[in-house]
Amino acid sequence: MVVLEAQNVDKFFYNPTETQVLKGVSFKVNRGEFVSVVGKSGCGKSTLLYILSTMDTDYKGELYIDNELITGKPQNYLAHLRNEKIGFVFQFHYLLNEFSVLENVMIPGLKLGKLSRQELEHRAMEKLKIFDMQDHALKKANQLSGGQKQRVAVARALINDPLLIMGDEPTGNLDKKNSDIVFEEFKKLASEFGQTMLIVTHDQEFAEGTDRIIEMEDGRVIKQ
Amino acid sequence: MKWSLILEIAKALMLARRKQTLIAAIGVMFSITMFVALLGFMNGLNTMLDGLVLNRTPHIRFYNEIKPNPRQPIDQSSEFQNSLNIIRSIKPSTSRLAIHNSTSIIQSLEEDPRVLGVSPKISAQVFFNVGTIDLTGIINGIEVEKEAELFAFTDYVTSGNYEDLNQINTIILGKGAADRMMADIGDVIQATTAQGNRIQLKVVGYYQSGLGDFDNVNSYASLTTVQKMLGEAPSYITDIQVKLIDFNMAPAMAKELAGIFQIDADDIQTVNAQFETGTQIRTLISYAVGITLLVVSGFGIYNILNMMIYEKLDTIAILKATGFNATDVNRIFITIALTIGVVGGVFGLVFGFLAGLGIDQVPFETDALPTIKTFPVDYNPKYYIIGGVFSLITTYFAGFFPARKASGIDPVEIIRGK
Repeated sequence: MVVLEAQNVDKFFYNPTETQVLKGVSFKVNRGEFVSVVGKSGCGKSTLLYILSTMDTDYKGELYIDNELITGKPQNYLAHLRNEKIGFVFQFHYLLNEFSVLENVMIPGLKLGKLSRQELEHRAMEKLKIFDMQDHALKKANQLSGGQKQRVAVARALINDPLLIMGDEPTGNLDKKNSDIVFEEFKKLASEFGQTMLIVTHDQEFAEGTDRIIEMEDGRVIKQ
Repeated sequence: MKWSLILEIAKALMLARRKQTLIAAIGVMFSITMFVALLGFMNGLNTMLDGLVLNRTPHIRFYNEIKPNPRQPIDQSSEFQNSLNIIRSIKPSTSRLAIHNSTSIIQSLEEDPRVLGVSPKISAQVFFNVGTIDLTGIINGIEVEKEAELFAFTDYVTSGNYEDLNQINTIILGKGAADRMMADIGDVIQATTAQGNRIQLKVVGYYQSGLGDFDNVNSYASLTTVQKMLGEAPSYITDIQVKLIDFNMAPAMAKELAGIFQIDADDIQTVNAQFETGTQIRTLISYAVGITLLVVSGFGIYNILNMMIYEKLDTIAILKATGFNATDVNRIFITIALTIGVVGGVFGLVFGFLAGLGIDQVPFETDALPTIKTFPVDYNPKYYIIGGVFSLITTYFAGFFPARKASGIDPVEIIRGK
């Protein structure tokens, strides 16, 4: 069962001169797979992730999510799709400092609007429990350490039970200890919950712990 | 999209920048306060100054003008009626100042549905005899109750009781005239009419309109007193003053009725054109100042929202990445702007009203304006509605461009940029 499929994705940057960043990238991600994308800095792996995440729509080729052609859909449709089917974890945790930890986890759920506030609160607490963060639920986001923030960010990515979680170097900004904790949690998600995940990383150790490694070089997939 | 979530996020963003938000709201509040207070004060003054003249001026005045007869005999002769006749040194005919058939004119005016009230009047030239000196003056014979009802006569009787005027041979002297005659209330003065009749009149009050020249000359007595003084019949009237329900109809009606009654008629617009112009310009200036204040506060909101957007680029990027679309982000910032506008506007209206009450307490006494003790303020709800609506419009536009900018932010650029 294919969750995500990219067919011949090309991407150009025009500033300052035309450069082709992605050259005919094609691959598939199956349900329940824990996939990592590795490659040197500048090989286009982050660019690829933003295209796959539907945030970047300026590319050539075709993108399917859940067997549906995504290329060319209107922005509002894509926003709704991201909300419902994709969870994000960024290199920098990107929590909203104006809200508490619990509210941060709840916001994408509130946006989706399928569950009541009480149900979402309960659910957000459950997600926080997975990462042992339930005691910090009522703190403001900026009162947490870097590792804690990243764990909350993963909990937030899970709130709508997404089809797919994407990570852009989720451990890239963490020290060894926190990095290990977050990595363990990704592995737990994969093994215990069967969560489909696509993680961009340049951390070799992290990549080796995943089901499948997609290696990129100079805008091409060189090994799957 | 649920508005509750948008409101929640807008609230969180505002609370995160509490001081700036407060300053923006205070800016709106201050400008609305000034707008409402300024317009209320300006229009209070306008109404009072206009009232000085307009309250006392009949909307239409009927009278007989002394003028040469327009139908000279030579024009009627069959021999010369088609030629150009020039008559030199023509004199007014012996037409009467009195209005012919005044009773039936008054009656038909009172039956006219457009007419609020009719008040007859006699203007009589007199000399006040003070020792060996004669002072010229005009005694206006009026129907006291009607004059009080239609032309706010009581407002200008500064001392004495206007009802005493109903007794025969009493007079209310203009303040200036009384000062020159050194006549106190209760004194008896002597007047001589143009026909040579002498009459003794008891002073029962002073009249002060605020227009010095007017008060030096004009005095008031009852219609019967003046008729008796002139030796005329009870039907003798020189002026018929009419107040209309809608005074904008005055010019047309004056023309129409002048034709019907075969009499001269002046309307208020023609006589007092300059007052309306003055009022309009003062109103225009106060609106201009008020709206400028609002626009300035609008720029304040624009600035603060722009700053907020630069500070919250990460927040906007993450909201978009997690599924908020451009419309949602736009609504969040418009909500912030409108919240500032509504809160500032409501407080502004309250403080504007209080400022109006404050101005209303400031003493303002001048000899020219006997009835005014404090600054006049107009509490017309119109200004509050305009102020409220403008606060919403300016804040909406102040929020419009920043919100559009925020909604157009590309999350990829922000996230990559780190």
